[in-house]
Amino acid sequence: MSVAPRFRFSLLSALAACALLLGVAAPLRAETITVEHAQGTSEVPLGPKTILVFDLAALDTLDTLGVPVAGVPEGVKPAYLRKYDEAAYPKIGSLFEPDFEAVAAAAPDLIVTGGRSAAKYAELAGIAPTVDVTVDASRYIEDAKDKVRLLARITQREEEAERRIAALDASIAALKGKAKGAGTGLILMTTGGRMSAYGPGSRFGIIHTVFGVAPAAADLAVATHGQAVSYEFLLKTDPDTLFVIDRDAAIGRRGQAASVLLDNEIVRRTKAWTNGRVVYLDPDSWYLSGTGLTAMQAMVDEIAAALD
Amino acid sequence: MATRRFGSPDGWAAGGLAAGLLALLALASVSLFVGVADLTPGRLLDPATREAALVALLESRLPRTAALMLAGSCLAIAGVIMQMLTRNRFVEPTTAGTTEAAGLGMLVMLLFFPGSPVVVKSLVAAGFACAGTALFLRLLRAIPPGSPLLVPLTGIMFGGIIGSLTAYIAHHYGLIQSLGAWRNGDFSVVIAGRYELLWLTLALSVPAYLAADRFTIAGLGRDMSRNLGLDHGRTLIVGLVIVSLISALVVTTVGSIPFLGLVVPNLVSLAMGDNLRRSLPWMALCGAGLVLACDIAGRLIVAPYEIPAGTVFGVLGSLVFLYLLLGRPSRAA
Repeated sequence: MSVAPRFRFSLLSALAACALLLGVAAPLRAETITVEHAQGTSEVPLGPKTILVFDLAALDTLDTLGVPVAGVPEGVKPAYLRKYDEAAYPKIGSLFEPDFEAVAAAAPDLIVTGGRSAAKYAELAGIAPTVDVTVDASRYIEDAKDKVRLLARITQREEEAERRIAALDASIAALKGKAKGAGTGLILMTTGGRMSAYGPGSRFGIIHTVFGVAPAAADLAVATHGQAVSYEFLLKTDPDTLFVIDRDAAIGRRGQAASVLLDNEIVRRTKAWTNGRVVYLDPDSWYLSGTGLTAMQAMVDEIAAALD
Repeated sequence: MATRRFGSPDGWAAGGLAAGLLALLALASVSLFVGVADLTPGRLLDPATREAALVALLESRLPRTAALMLAGSCLAIAGVIMQMLTRNRFVEPTTAGTTEAAGLGMLVMLLFFPGSPVVVKSLVAAGFACAGTALFLRLLRAIPPGSPLLVPLTGIMFGGIIGSLTAYIAHHYGLIQSLGAWRNGDFSVVIAGRYELLWLTLALSVPAYLAADRFTIAGLGRDMSRNLGLDHGRTLIVGLVIVSLISALVVTTVGSIPFLGLVVPNLVSLAMGDNLRRSLPWMALCGAGLVLACDIAGRLIVAPYEIPAGTVFGVLGSLVFLYLLLGRPSRAA
């Protein structure tokens, strides 16, 4: 009992000393700016040194802009971001679940959440300034560009970002022109030997809504995992181009399982097959890092190449 | 074999089976003309549309209808054999870990040989199913007799363990969704060239039928069947292999249809008793009919898309399962 007050006193004085130090240090350290993001506004340091990133699209964007990242989530990453799997980049939890101890230990200047980690925003914001770069799917490309600009502004890479966004806009415009004369398209995901179709407004719908490919089936309901369809459905809708996302190629053998599934007498009778336009999309950009700067450019380039 | 009486000696029972077959054929012809592609008897007869209609019929509808009947009938047979061998009415491939073990085998193939032909995938899955079922039968020895509900509960838990191991691996490699696909019986991708393995299940039904009497005797228990001169161990192995092969073939080609192997045998034996040689044709018939009906419903409800037959049956089947479990405890064991 007699030790406790003294201990508490020393603790308090230590804290006070810390606070004093911080108070002195803060204005010296960095200028802060106020930014708006998916979950409100935050005051963040300009040009943060230690950045922790929970979102693969944000990791893509920061990597593209040449911003060093101090911590990344564990798990599957797109091939072009695989260097972040190395031990040199501390792991700070999964895409869904932060490892709070690791986060705190890294003493970050900025934390970036998005998509799957957005639900943990509040907890993370209690540790360090946090921005949520979740993209509003209803304004996919526009909001994705806004989020790129947000990250660029904080990290002072605005010039580089604008240059890339302009290039992206130009290739989207070119793609739209090409898509106009390319007939209809159907987005198909294959997994475990099954097929489901995705329409405009779905997670892959930018092929229709932004890139301008006419949908072969206009009334597809929006569902996270698409609508289960049969081969007869392919025969009936008969798209000019079939965009295939091979969900089973998660370990890098793109199109292998899907091509076995689609090579049959019925699919061979569709226009897509006879046109040679059964296109296997790269799951890395479509699935993992969809709204990242490099991923978006890759998606546009891929569809443009398919329609050549 | 030829000297034995086929089915019931009663004329009306044979007539009943014939009527059942006719009903099944009627259902099958409905199945042939329900679907997305333009296929009607009229278009088949009209020379202008005949070619396109024939493609739909031969490449899609006939294979699908055949696959439905094959899967339905052989799952019912697999179910009843397991029930005889374990002397428990609540055991079938999805409540004994067999299906989950086949799924694990399927995942292994998907991971390491994603482009391999369905035959190879099925055979590997069958190996896993065999091992899983054998392990389950081994587990059963530790269960005190006279507790019929413990057997399926153990099986479901055992399946759950294999299932979660599978899910863990699948999650690690981002294949969770592929896993979901074959956990659910779905005939939407059945076309010519993608279901033919199921004909093997028909071939497996022949030894099952020939060995029906043995399974009936084995169902009386190890001691009793030994007294009657049956090699209990060998019968067990034959049954195990047949059941595992059937489950694996069905799981790899169309996915699992939960409770089918439980619901059909129970309902049929409620009506006909436990003489397998007499009831087996009925089980095959009812299994085929139920799966056909569920798939037709699944095709119609959200056309031109589909609800998997396994989902439709799962809803009906789990209700019957609960009824059998709770409503008729006297029939357990």
